[in-house]
Amino acid sequence: MFMKSSEKSGLRGWLKRSLAMAILAGAVALGAPAQANDTIKIGFSMALTGGLAGAGKGALIAMQVWAEDTNAAGGLLGKQVELIYYDDQTNPANVPGIYTKLLDIDDVDFVVSGYGTNLIAPAMPIVMQRGLVFPSLFGLAVNEKFNYPNYFQIMPAGPEPLTDWSKGFYTVAMAQDPPPKTIALVGADAEFAKNAVKGARIQAEELGLEIVYDESYHPKTPDFTPIVNAIQARNPDMVFVGSYPPDSVGMVKAATEVGLKTKIFGGGMVGLQFASIMTALGPKLNGIVNYDFWVPEPTLKFEGVEAFLAKYQKAAEGQGVDPLGYYLQPYAYAYLQVLGQAINATNSADHAVIGEYIRNNSFDTVVGNVSFAPNGEWAKTRVLMVQYQGIEDNELATFTKAGTRVVLYPAEWKSGDVNYPYAE
Amino acid sequence: MKWPAVKLSPFWLCAAVIALLGIAVTIFDLFNINTFIFFAGYVVLQYVVLATAWNIMGGYMGYVNFGTAGFFAVGAYASVVLYNLFQAPLALMIPFAGVVCALLGLAMGYLTLRLRGVFFAIATLAMAIVLETLIINWEFVGGATGAYILRSREQAPFGDYIEFLFFVMLLLAIFAVSVARWLELSRTGRGFVAIRDDEIAAECAGVPTLRLKLIATTVSGFLMGVAGAPFALYVSFIEPSSAFNLIYAVNAIAMPMIGGATTWLGPVIGALLLGTVQQVATVTISSELNLLIVGVVLVFFVIVAPEGIVGLLKKWFGGRRDDR
Repeated sequence: MFMKSSEKSGLRGWLKRSLAMAILAGAVALGAPAQANDTIKIGFSMALTGGLAGAGKGALIAMQVWAEDTNAAGGLLGKQVELIYYDDQTNPANVPGIYTKLLDIDDVDFVVSGYGTNLIAPAMPIVMQRGLVFPSLFGLAVNEKFNYPNYFQIMPAGPEPLTDWSKGFYTVAMAQDPPPKTIALVGADAEFAKNAVKGARIQAEELGLEIVYDESYHPKTPDFTPIVNAIQARNPDMVFVGSYPPDSVGMVKAATEVGLKTKIFGGGMVGLQFASIMTALGPKLNGIVNYDFWVPEPTLKFEGVEAFLAKYQKAAEGQGVDPLGYYLQPYAYAYLQVLGQAINATNSADHAVIGEYIRNNSFDTVVGNVSFAPNGEWAKTRVLMVQYQGIEDNELATFTKAGTRVVLYPAEWKSGDVNYPYAE
Repeated sequence: MKWPAVKLSPFWLCAAVIALLGIAVTIFDLFNINTFIFFAGYVVLQYVVLATAWNIMGGYMGYVNFGTAGFFAVGAYASVVLYNLFQAPLALMIPFAGVVCALLGLAMGYLTLRLRGVFFAIATLAMAIVLETLIINWEFVGGATGAYILRSREQAPFGDYIEFLFFVMLLLAIFAVSVARWLELSRTGRGFVAIRDDEIAAECAGVPTLRLKLIATTVSGFLMGVAGAPFALYVSFIEPSSAFNLIYAVNAIAMPMIGGATTWLGPVIGALLLGTVQQVATVTISSELNLLIVGVVLVFFVIVAPEGIVGLLKKWFGGRRDDR
């Protein structure tokens, strides 16, 4: 391939100009002086692309709703709130750089975490080094190793997340007459599912249940029929599943097709809370007892939650995110509420003062009253155990009604009785 | 008494200057560089090592390895093993990870080098999946739930720990490029090129093809392993899906393609260019667009410079000499 000299020099000139512009843009982007300090800047990374993008985008909308609400109410410390965020691409390796950029170049006043354990942990050394308050969104036992006093995690797993997660599943089952005697444990070979099944195993042993099946499967397993058949062959009274969205769908479909006969089925299945999956599965969900964090039951109408959901659902239209926003979104709003309330209450931007305040006080948020244990988890677990009941179609509106996901546990928030057994 | 005359080649002069600059900016805090640059620079330099390591097999010899993420992750998990055993220092983790991955490369070579083309590529991809499954089921290194490695906040005489990690990765990058350059210019490198051009002809001409291929897989594995060794300290928490992330394999292939796969300089240029674009895009554009940009850059270079930037420059300067 030959080019004329003038063409070559033209191309070279264009390349030089492009390179110069790229260097200039980079210099401006990386070296821009901080703007006038007339806003409170809150920085974070969020999974906007990659495996957790669906949830990450939904969380971001909820956080933007919080910023709008807060600014409409006068902001924090008399200043307007500005959210500064970057896409971590669901890649932990991007997180340390992003938080350093936020703190050193964007000059943010506060940082909060992105979504998920493996995207929270890489930011911990940076926030610990600077003594920052670090509200975090849905990390499982991240602070167990770090023991950082200014870490505050908003997912209501409780002070002992490993066992608190499935406590409700067992409480509901063991209250039946006669109580179940055998259990099957099955979970994906991945971070959350392993922990969920581990906690379930500990409690099964403590309760003296006979574990008749205890296996894990590869996270990319395409067909769950053989697994459900193997479980059915052991005829367990209970089946506890720790799974991620794609395998939760596969497991429910396989259980329906095989006609799984057990007394209680579900436990730790991620994804059954998402609108897209609920509408896809519809009546197949009936009878499943599974964990959840918020459902539209009359016992969980905390102050502000419906107003928030109305704003979220409007903002979420056409964004390709969960149209209902019941699962993660109220908590994405609430962890900023905790931070905002602490800043306003202390009238300070001093992280040590704010951290001390959060440790010693409770907060009224859209997910209810929140206070934190010394390890930064909720002081008391509120992992709900709900049962899908009376679902007759696949319409989205069905899942907005009370009575389709009845709260069975904790007793404090109970909204109905269990349909027992799952199938005989 | 006269000092013996020491003559440094331009390559070693550049390497020495870069290492001294590294010391200047990390230990003596010259230029007062922002910490973010060290974090971003670490990632870019990590890709220099990975791309250079991949190029020894893929560029010099024409064997496309899709298992980079597997070697990288094994290097990272080798460090986790030492950390869990006795909280070993990084100085021990790096050679250990390198040796483990070199042995892994050697084993992979024995098992797969009778395959060629797409079959070899698929075998390396499968190897990465097998390794990931092994790690998922190995509780000692955290299994599927992952493992935490707590790094110290500071490291004398560097100050901030990330400055230390950056400097270590800079030295590893210089080491990797030196090894690649030495291989390229040596008799072994000429053997690699002979295999790439026509393996059967090379065999007939007396080139010990199997031995050379085993050397390549071993050296390449070693370098990928040392690139992964500090990873767990960089992110503090390591779990299989992030350590075996396909992005490492994709970048390790894309970078030499962009820079030029037939010389040691190509992967360096490709990694510096694409790595920097990725880091800048992450904190500027920060949406799906940054992924698009990487794709566009790739397509642009494949069309405009199928032999990479080095090939393009050679063509330009070669063309100018012809014009004269």
